[in-house]
This record gives sequence, structure tokens and C-alpha cells, in this order.
Amino acid sequence: MSSDLYHIKQQFTLGRLGAYKALVKEALPDENSPDYHAALLYKARSFIALNEPVSALELIPEGSENVALKAVASLARYVAASGSEQAEAALEELRDLSVEIEGDDIEGDDKDKALVRVLAGTAFARAGEVEEALETLGTETEDLEAVAVIVQIYLSINRSDLAKKQFDRSKRWAEDDLLLQLIESTIGLATGKDNYANTASFYTEQLGNPSLTSPHLLTARGVTRILRGEIQEAKSDLEESLEQQKGDAEAEAAYVVAAGLGALKKSEAEELWTKLAAEHPSHPYVQDVLQKADLFTQSAAAFSVPPPASVSA
Amino acid sequence: MGVLVDRFEEHEGPVRGIAIHPTRALLVSGGDDYKIKVWDIRPQNRRCLFTLHGHLDYVRTVQFHHEMPWILSCSDDQTIRIWNSTSRQCIAVLTGHSHYVMSAQFHPKEDLIVSASMDQTVRVWDISGLRKGSPNQGGPGSSGPNGSSNFETFDTFSTVKHVLEGHDRGVNWATFHPTLPLIISAGDDRVIKIWRMSETRAWEVDSCRGHFHNVLTALFHPKHELIVSCGEDKTIRVWDLAKRSAIQTFRREQDRFWILACHPNLNLFAAGHDSGLIVFKLERERPAFSVFQDTLYYVRDKFVRSYDFNTGADIGLLSVRKFGSPYVPPRTLSFNPAERAVILTISSDNGLYELSNLPQQAQGELKDSSVDGKKGNGQSAIFVARNRFAVLNKTTQLIEVPITIANKNFSQHSLIHETIRIKSGAWDDAGVFIYSTLNHVKYCLSQGDHGVICTLDNPVYLTRIKGKTAHCLDRSGRPRTITFDPTEYRFKLALLKNNYEEMLYIIKTSTLLGQSIIAYLQQKGFPEIALHFVQDTNTRFELAIECGNLDVAMETAKTINRPECWERLAQQALKQGNHKARPTQAISGRKLTQDKLTKMQKIADARGDPMSRFHNALYAGDVEARISVLRDVGLHPLAYLTAKTNGLDDVANEILEAAGLTEEDIADVPTFAASSLKPPPVVTPTTDLLWPSLSTGESFFDRALANGQLEGGVEPSYVNGDATAGHSALDAWAKEEEHEDIDPEEGGWELDADGGEFQSAVEGEETEAEAEEELGAGATPGPSETDLWVRNSPAAVDHVAAGSFETAMQLLNRQFGVVNFEPLKPLFLSIYRSSHVYLSPYASLPPLKLHVRRNPGETAPSRVLPVSVRSLQSIRAELTEGYRLVSGNKLPEARDVFRSVLQALLLVVLSSDDEAKLWRETVTSAREYLLGVLMEIERRRVVEQEPENVARNLELAAYFTQCQLQPPHLQIALRSAIGAFAKANNQAHAARFARRLLELKPDPKIAAQAKQRIAAGDRNPRNAVEISYDEFSPFEICAVTFTPIYKGSPSVHDPYTDAAYLPQFKGALDPLTQLTEIGASASGLPASW
Repeated sequence: MSSDLYHIKQQFTLGRLGAYKALVKEALPDENSPDYHAALLYKARSFIALNEPVSALELIPEGSENVALKAVASLARYVAASGSEQAEAALEELRDLSVEIEGDDIEGDDKDKALVRVLAGTAFARAGEVEEALETLGTETEDLEAVAVIVQIYLSINRSDLAKKQFDRSKRWAEDDLLLQLIESTIGLATGKDNYANTASFYTEQLGNPSLTSPHLLTARGVTRILRGEIQEAKSDLEESLEQQKGDAEAEAAYVVAAGLGALKKSEAEELWTKLAAEHPSHPYVQDVLQKADLFTQSAAAFSVPPPASVSA
Repeated sequence: MGVLVDRFEEHEGPVRGIAIHPTRALLVSGGDDYKIKVWDIRPQNRRCLFTLHGHLDYVRTVQFHHEMPWILSCSDDQTIRIWNSTSRQCIAVLTGHSHYVMSAQFHPKEDLIVSASMDQTVRVWDISGLRKGSPNQGGPGSSGPNGSSNFETFDTFSTVKHVLEGHDRGVNWATFHPTLPLIISAGDDRVIKIWRMSETRAWEVDSCRGHFHNVLTALFHPKHELIVSCGEDKTIRVWDLAKRSAIQTFRREQDRFWILACHPNLNLFAAGHDSGLIVFKLERERPAFSVFQDTLYYVRDKFVRSYDFNTGADIGLLSVRKFGSPYVPPRTLSFNPAERAVILTISSDNGLYELSNLPQQAQGELKDSSVDGKKGNGQSAIFVARNRFAVLNKTTQLIEVPITIANKNFSQHSLIHETIRIKSGAWDDAGVFIYSTLNHVKYCLSQGDHGVICTLDNPVYLTRIKGKTAHCLDRSGRPRTITFDPTEYRFKLALLKNNYEEMLYIIKTSTLLGQSIIAYLQQKGFPEIALHFVQDTNTRFELAIECGNLDVAMETAKTINRPECWERLAQQALKQGNHKARPTQAISGRKLTQDKLTKMQKIADARGDPMSRFHNALYAGDVEARISVLRDVGLHPLAYLTAKTNGLDDVANEILEAAGLTEEDIADVPTFAASSLKPPPVVTPTTDLLWPSLSTGESFFDRALANGQLEGGVEPSYVNGDATAGHSALDAWAKEEEHEDIDPEEGGWELDADGGEFQSAVEGEETEAEAEEELGAGATPGPSETDLWVRNSPAAVDHVAAGSFETAMQLLNRQFGVVNFEPLKPLFLSIYRSSHVYLSPYASLPPLKLHVRRNPGETAPSRVLPVSVRSLQSIRAELTEGYRLVSGNKLPEARDVFRSVLQALLLVVLSSDDEAKLWRETVTSAREYLLGVLMEIERRRVVEQEPENVARNLELAAYFTQCQLQPPHLQIALRSAIGAFAKANNQAHAARFARRLLELKPDPKIAAQAKQRIAAGDRNPRNAVEISYDEFSPFEICAVTFTPIYKGSPSVHDPYTDAAYLPQFKGALDPLTQLTEIGASASGLPASW
């Protein structure tokens, strides 16, 4: 792997918004370069991660028969889908691709095939099809990206034990890799082992890495610090992140949490929340809290409120 | 709970047949991919060892031979094959069936195979030829992997012995009786057939009819004369082999049963159905027994027997064969020594009891209880007096003899939670309760400590514990004894009872070692005892510090020799006042021996604390050291003078030189006489006397162990029982039952519903096979963090943080009588909002929901709790804000703040009794201020809107002064009252308020006014307006009417703030907080710390 491509991969792995933005701005290497294909894939995936699937679709050359490119396109269509029909169609494409790669007469190497699984698994996980996602990714996989997705799926269903197991298994074959560390730190976030020490030091280390800056890393460290109970430090991380990346839903959401935990005054926290709810109504955090508001009304209705005591009564 | 141990995935398509090797860790499986695979199932090298190819259609069943390396398989290709698992080749193909072969099984002992086929026949094959011909050389196996080309050769090795015809449809299953020459088969004609065979022929004996759909499997009960079968009619049926009659039926609502298996030695069966599997047993195994003195009376195989604990004599006394159902063992036994009679109960026939006398001696022929027994109906019966017994009869609710429970108090001492069912229990001589579970014998001490004594292969039912021996009955009702090592619980018991002699004895004689006991002792507050078990220097130091054993601490500190150790040693020594181990400071008037001094010097050096070093040198009278310290810290003048006054002129000059000065330069320095400072003389030689000190842990143990043989580093010889057992028990102790093995007997079938005449022959239990534990696509979601929070906390706030609003509300309702939740909504949501945070670590996946914990260092699922969103401190700060508003006369704002404080206090995390006390004070303050503010607002309304109602105005002003306010605010209330009363010409009252005001020592200016007011009151001690206010009898103020409720008058209270109300307001919404129901019952704040 050339150093350029390594850099691209590193950016993608730690990326999220900031680095993705940097990544999508970066020009692709020459079409004949051996890195071209991989770089193209990372760039397209960055667009999807930025929630700009249309740009991703534009990037992918028409009529490409490469399975990985086709899978990226399908994922982009899935993310872009406005209705359930379109989404289902995109999922179908990915299902077909997952089956196709079992055969021999396809265009793409083993890496491409692995990527197809990762992308399909990602889409299935997004669609809430946990079992299908795990099935597609294959828990015996020796592809680290797949492991990352599997681990996150396990964590999302509160099976940190399985996530841990999967991670331990991957350590047997995987090189010491940035992604491996990221996976470990993600598991740490969910389990809270050793007071989140591993996660905290991972993000701190990466923030010290001069070759890349990413507000996402700041957000991640801010979140870790919230979990560690270091609210003031979290606040400064998140503020710095928001300075670099205004309007990032994730950082804003974390900032609301930090604010609620005493980083800011009550009224300010409330204001931040209102702003977040208005600007990112579809963020899972907002959705969750709104749902809880309904639950509150519903639960409170179970109690009958007696008339207030008054002098005339 | 059944736990998935492993998962093997390689077959393509369904797997129909599997078998585990009877002695080796091998598994064979056959599936619809026509393949037979053999697996190593040991976890460390789990893998498919090899695959046998040859069948041309689905493989139905597979089996290992019990001694030869043979695998038997049958297939839809109409053949039965035998494979050599060593050469991995097919060594015989049995042809003859003309349709799918559904099952094939080896005879458990003889060289026979029985097979069942869709061609409606059952065939018995003789394979003795196979054993003679060595399959590896000369045999057909040597013909290579394409062995299927020569069927003829194979057939010389095996021949059809019998063809059993009689089923009207295809046969699904056929199996041999383990010992008798019997075969049962099960078919699609819904019939189970029993066949008998001789050397020459085989014939049908009888059929069991009852299944109303295809029968899939039928098994002989391994111990009793019973047949168990299952089928597509969703039933499992039990049949009497002799009578061919159905005994019991278990029906499942939805799922058809496909396969049955019995455990090779336990009384357990497993049945597979459409959606999982169940594990069950057919009968209750706990034998009925009763202990009298040294004799155990018990029932085995429907005989009452006696067993002498001392001699081991076990004799039959009475037959109870005709008592109740023949398939059901008696349930309870009660022995009456006065009459030498037993009373037995049985659960069949809706419960029966029978009373019979036992013969004095064992006789040749045992008498049957039916001869002279007295019978009746009842679920349970027990002797209660010499000639009386009580019978519990649930159906009539009639107890024939009244029972008085003359027992001691039944108060609950301790509760131990076992995840698996407890089988039996008995008291040990020392008052320890020993009990047995499925696979352990455990103990329980009266204060609730418990642990494992030993593990069991099979459950036992404990009858008596004596010393190291546990007497018990095993599953088949035979008396057994288990010898175990009681050291551990004896030790704990001794610890509990402070029985030091016993403990010492145990320490000296047993191998009570290991981390677990150290941790235990430390945890239970006995570090000084733990000290004697530890060799590791660091741990010894820690423990020594903890228990204040300075000698040991000193000794270990020397070995470790690190500054922090000395530091800690010093602190501990200081705490105890033991100057001997203490470093320098504040020691005076004592002569310190040279070695101690050196030691202290070392400590001081290590600490780098010059003051300490200086003191040290001073007390030691070591002038040079003193000078060197002073020089080191740059106090050259002092160093010089010290040298000079002590006659050390050389040194003094050296110092001068170093400072670049000469004698002349310091001519103006006054000369001092030679120093008389010297080590103070010893007044009382107290070197070895210590100050009154804390217990230094010179306990019984220190002495005893120091004098005794037990030295710290010496491994004590093992005396008590088996060493490995002791260690394993300790290990188990440490682990405290991290998890239990599979217990197939959890849960319960309620089988009494059907099968009229035979009530509970099938007493079984089921476990649904747990889905996926291994990594795999079907991973089931685990308990979420929020579930854990809810489980771990009784505090409403934690439930709110977990998003479990419903339970949170229920808690608030129960604890504080809250009924109106709407005002709490923002609080609920902000707490929930602040307890969860989202992060997406990986591209394009939905973000992970993370949970903010209160105790980030804590990861044990049983202890994690949500973050404390608002602290009591922050709420108290808000309360102070309210005070400020009161001072600033912003009453409506203050009212809102106090309400908000009271709301927030409902949802705050508390962690100690002190905090709880502070919490209650805060609630009370907020309530008083809120009440006062509300009254003052009302008073202002009265002044404005009902100016003629002066009396009310004055009353409210007066009551306001009765609220428990802080002095500055009370001053405000009093001054306001003085003003109002003076204006209304109630001079006497005004003077009273003024006196109270003076007591608060106000500003001089205000004090002067107050004095004037008192003077005015003295001049004119009258009140113009009559009001309802008597400051001399204590009263509370009703927060609705703002009228006094004098002490002794009826009142109701608010369940949360404890505000008082007139009785008529019971059940109404509290006007102060607007949250609770007045007078509702409430349990109060839960102490969750």
C-alpha cells in the first residue's frame, strides 16, 4: 500500500465528518495508478458517511462491473432512498451482490468481496436487520472492517461479551492496526473497563497525531470524558470540536449532555437542547428523547390527580 | 438454564442425526448433504476430523458403536452403512429395505442392529461376521474409497436375521431393550409395537395405542419398566411396559415432538420439538425420610427402611407397595418414636396418608402396610405428639388435629439467593446450615455467609451432618456418606463467634491459604489474621498497615524500602502514637537508640524533608548533622552560628569561606556563649513505653502465632482432610458461584392437569434450549445498561435516568405519594437526556448509544448506576438563590424557586446517611420558606383586595414569623409583622415581635427601632384587633387555609414534605409542591447506599 493510500485509509478510519470532508476534497490519484480503485472507494464511502450519497453516486463510473463499486453504489442508493420501496430495492441489490461474490465469475479481488460484505452488513444494520447483517459479515471473517461492523452491531444489542470475543479472535490474525485499536476503544466505550482508560488514551494519542486533524476525534474524546465524569474537560473538547465543525449533530448532542451534567447553567442546557432538537430532528438522540416525552405523558396518565386543596373545599 | 456449549457449522442443509461417543470426545452427525461428519468436541481443538462420503441420499440417523471403532448410519438411499472410524472407510453396506431407512441402532451388547424403514418393516441384522473379519486388512474396507462398488462382499459380513412385519405404515424408530430380548418400534400408523426375539425368530408381543398422529420415537426407560414415546400429536407419553397401558401424557400446545433421548445415567430425558427442546424427569427423586437420633428412616423402592448412621446397618422394615399409585414414591415420612410408627403420604389419588406401626425387628417377610394401616386423604401428615398427628388436607381445608405452632420465632435470619434449586438441607452440630443443590454441597452461616463445600456429580439429599461426614440419600434412595472438609466454614464460624482458640487451631492445622481467604479476612475486617497467611512483601505491608501491626510493617518496609512506604508507615505510626516506628517530628524528651535514629534518618532522607532531618539531628544531639542540614537548605548564617557556638570553629570557618566572607565581615554579629543545647536528659526511661495507643493488633493471633509453630513463610503441613479438596473449595469460595452449570431441573411442569388416575408420575421440568451463546448471526440482544440501572437501584432518579418512567413514577408514588407528575416532566427529560450520549465510531453505521455512569470505575453489571445529574449541593445552591430572592422581596420568583427545589429534591442521588439527613433538612427548609412566601403573598393580596380584613392581615403576618426561617429572613418577617401590628394598633403583639427581633441581634439601627417598639408596647399593652394567634402554644400552619393547627388537634401531613393540613384536606393535591396527595401513605426515602 502506498503512503498516500495509507493516509487516505487512516483518514477514513478515524474520519467522520472533518476528515471525510478533507478526504472528499482530495483529488483522486491517476486512473492508471494502482491506488486509484481503492482511493475511489474510500472517497465514495466518505461521501456516504457525510450523508451526501448523491455525490458518491456521481463519483462512481457508470457501468462499472466491479462488485465493490456496485456495492458502494447500492449503499449510496440505500442511504439516499426516500421511501421504503427504494430502500428495499437497494437492500435487494446488496443481497444479490452478497450472493454473487460466492461465485467465481465476478469482477473484483478478495478485498472487493470483503468490502461488499462490509457494505451490505452496514446497510442491513442500518435497516435494523441485525441477524442478516451478522450473517452477511460472517463471524468467522478475517476482514477487520467487517469485524468493526460486527463489533458495533454486538454493542448495539448489548452483547459486549460477544463483541469482546470477536475482537479477541481478530487479534489472532490481525496486525496491530489503527482500526484494531479503534475497535478496542469502541468496546471500551460500551463496557467502561478501567474507567474508560484505554479509550481515552487512544483518542488522546490520535489527537496528538500531526498528520490528521478531525473534530470527530475531539467529539469522541469529549464523549469519553463525559463517560469518565470529567465534564469540564469534555466541555472544552466539544467546544473545540464545534468550533472546527459547526452544526455537527453528534458533537452538539454530546454538548447537550455535558451541559445537562453541569457544564452549563440549566437554562443554557435547555436552550441547547431546543436548538439541537430543531436542527437535527432525525438524530437518534433527539428521537429517543422525544419518544421518552411521549412515554412520560402516557405513564403519568396512569395516576389520577386529585383536585387541589383549597380553602373553599 | 440450558447453555449452548458449542456450535458446529459445516453441513450444508439440515442435520438429521447426531450421536456423541460414549467414552470419547467425539460427535458424529449426518445430514441432508448425504455426508457424515465426525467432530472433535473438545473446546481447545473443536473441528471436523473427517467426513464420510458414500450415502446417496439424506442420512437419517448415526451412531457410534459402544466398543468397536464403528459408526452406523442409515439413509434414504435404502441402505444402512457401517464405517470404520479409524480407517475412515465404509466397511459394510446393509441392503434389504425397500424404502427410506428411518433409524438404525446397534444392540447395546450383542452384535445386532435393528433398523426401521418406511417400507413398514423393522429388521434385525446380525453383524457378528464383521467383527471376525478384520476390517482393515482383507476386509472389504481395503477395497478403497470406492467401496460401494462391491455390495456382495459386504453382505457376507452381515445378514438380515429377522424381518418384523406388522406396522401398517412406515416405521420411524426401532430400538433394543438394554437387557431383555425386546424391541420397540414406532410408526406412522400411530402405534408403538413391542417385539420379542429369540435366537431363531422374532414376533410381535403387543401394541401401545393412544397417539393420534405419527409416532416418531419410543424409548425404554433405562431403570423402570416403562416406555416413553413422542410424536407429531404434540405429546410425550409414558407407558407401562408390562401392562401396555398409558400412564401419563404430556401435551404441548404448539409444537410437535420429533426426537427423544435419555441421559445415560441420570434420571433425565430430553425431547426435541418444533421450537426447541425440553429436558424433563419422570419422577420425584427426593426420598421421603425422617431422622430420629442416630437412625434414618426412609423410603426406597416402596419399602420403609431404617439406616443406622453409626453402624451403617440398612434394613427393610415395611412394604408400602400397595399404598397409592404403584408408579409414585411416597412423598413424606414422619416417624413417631413413642409408638414406633410411621406416617407416610403420597401425592397420587389427590393425596393419601397412611399410618402403620413398624415391627420391632426386621422379619423374614416384610409386612405390607395395607394390612393394618390407617388411611385417609391428605397432602401431608406429620406427628405432632406422642399419639397425635396432623394431616393437611387442602381440598377440604380441614385439619384433623389442631396444630399449635410452638416453635421459636420464625424471624428470618438470612436469605441466600441461589440461582438453582436447593435440593435439601441439614444442620451441622455447630449450627451451620448445610444444603445441597444440583451439583454442590454448600454451607450457610447464620449471618448470611455462604460458600461451596464440595461439588457433586449427582444430586444428593442430605439427612444429617456430623463432623466431616455428610449422610445423605442419593437419587436412587440409597444411603451414602460424603466426607468433606469443613475447615472453611468452621473457620468462618469461629471468626463469627470470635472463637480464637478454634481459629488458631484451624490455622495451625489446615491449609487455609490463598488469596481468597486473605480477601475474605480483609473484607470482614480481620486484616491482622490475614497477615498470617501472606508471604508477598507488598501485601504484607498493606495488611500490616491496615491492622496497625507496626513491627511487621517496619520489617516489610525495610525490604521494600520505597519512600511512599516509609511515608505511610510514618503516618500510621503517628496515628497510633508509637514513637518507635515514627519518624522524627514532635518527639521530645526521649533518648533514641542509635539504630532507630539511623532508621529515622533514612526515612527523613528518603522523604527529602529537611525539617524532619533537622529535628532528628537536634534530638540526637548530632551537631554536625544539624549544621549540614542548615547548609543544605542554604541557611548559612544559622549554620555558622551553630558551628561557632558548639565550638566547631573549623567548620564555622569553612562555612564562612564557602560564603566568601571572613571573620571581619561578621564582626558586628554578637557573640554567643557556647551552646548548652544537648540531648535532653532522660527523665523517665520511656523508650519502651508507648503512649496510650490504638490497638496495634497485638491480638490473640499475634501472640499465639508468634509463639506457635506457624511462621509466616512456612507452609503449614496439611492435617485436615484432602489438600486438593481444600484448595478447590477455597477457589470455589473465592469465585462465589460465578455461574452455575446447566441445571436441567429448573422450571416445572404442571402435569396434574391430565392423566386422571396417575397424578404425578411424570414430575419433570423443562428447559428451552437457549439460543446462540457463541458468536453467530442469531445473537440475541443482552440486557441493556438501562435495564441494569433499573435493577440495581430503588431510587426513582435512577429509573428516570434509565428511561423507565413508569417504574420511576411508581416509586415516587410509593415513596413520596406523588400523583401529579406533569410538573416533573422537564426534570424527567433533562435527567434522561443527560444520562445518555451518542457516538458513531464507524462510518455510516447508526451511532452507538452510550450510558453515562455514576461510578465510571465500576463495570460489574450488578453495581453500575446512572450518572447523578443533579447533586444535592447544586440543589442547595438553588435554595440559596431562593433565599436571596426572599431577601430581595421577589416573592413570586422565590416561590417558583422553592417549588423547583422541592421537585429537584425528589430526583437526587444520595449516597450516605449524612446526605440523607442533609436532604431532609433541605426539604424542610424549602417547605418552610415556600409556606412563608405563600402566606406573605396571600397577606399582600388581603391588604390590597380586602383592606377591611385587618385581622386576617395580622394573622398571616404573625404566622409568617412562625416559619422556620434563617435569622436574616426571620428578621424581615418580624419587622414586617411589627409594622403591620403597630399600624393596626396592636401594641402588645408588636412589642412581642420586637422582643423576638432583638433576640436575633439585628443592626443597631433596627435594634433601636425595636426597643422603641417595646417601650411603646409597655406603655400601652393592648391589642386593638382580636386575632387568632397564640404564640405560646406550639402550632403548625395548615398550608391550605393558613390557619394554625395547635398541638394535639387532628391534622394530616404531606407524604413528601411533611407539611401539616387540616384533616378535611386528606386526599387532595398538596398546594405547596402541587405534586403529592395529602395524607397518602408513603414509604419514604429508600436507603440505596
